[in-house]
Amino acid sequence: MSTQFDKLLPLLVNGGIEFILIGGVAGNVLGSARLTFDVDIVYNRSKANLENISRSLKPLSPYLRGAPPGLPFKLDLPTLRHGLNFTLTTRLGDLDLLGEVVGGGNYKELLPHTFTVEAFGVKFKCVDLPTLIKLKRAAGRPKDLESIAELQALLEERKQ
Amino acid sequence: MKTKAYRDPVVEAYMPGVDRTLLRENLRLTPAQRLEKLVSFSSFAAELRRAGQRARSTKKR
Repeated sequence: MSTQFDKLLPLLVNGGIEFILIGGVAGNVLGSARLTFDVDIVYNRSKANLENISRSLKPLSPYLRGAPPGLPFKLDLPTLRHGLNFTLTTRLGDLDLLGEVVGGGNYKELLPHTFTVEAFGVKFKCVDLPTLIKLKRAAGRPKDLESIAELQALLEERKQ
Repeated sequence: MKTKAYRDPVVEAYMPGVDRTLLRENLRLTPAQRLEKLVSFSSFAAELRRAGQRARSTKKR
């Protein structure tokens, strides 16, 4: 199933979830031409936000991506409190909930490096281009090298 | 003294392969329009996958 970005992002915003868009979708917001298949967000770990995440995502039947079926997994408040980063599959597509990211820290640390995007009838925070490059470099994944080159080229194109 | 920002040689090796015409086209759009484009392309890719699956299952019969 392909991720329904136009439904998933409004659901997060309308559920009162405080988050910052990072990863491939953030790259698309910034001008990347690469197709991406999941939504990556850094979320605020305040109690109120964890409750909002649990309540808003429940109808989407979130489950651990790649895990065998039938595990007693529930994305409730205790699970969110005890965990940090969750790679999930949902009825609206794949969603990565990240409490912290290498090179960027947590929600509050990343917040000064964001801007507001208005799309699909809602407003949300997205990481800026230099920070997205920094995050991808820090992640150190070989699969990101081509993507970093594209983001670097975007930065150069913007300066011209 | 001005220092030049570090450029990763591996990333630099990928730079000539970046299609800047696509980037320039995207930079002319608003962020919302870029996301609409992602949604549209994603649906198209999903439809292609489904068509491929249908073709493979027809071939097996």
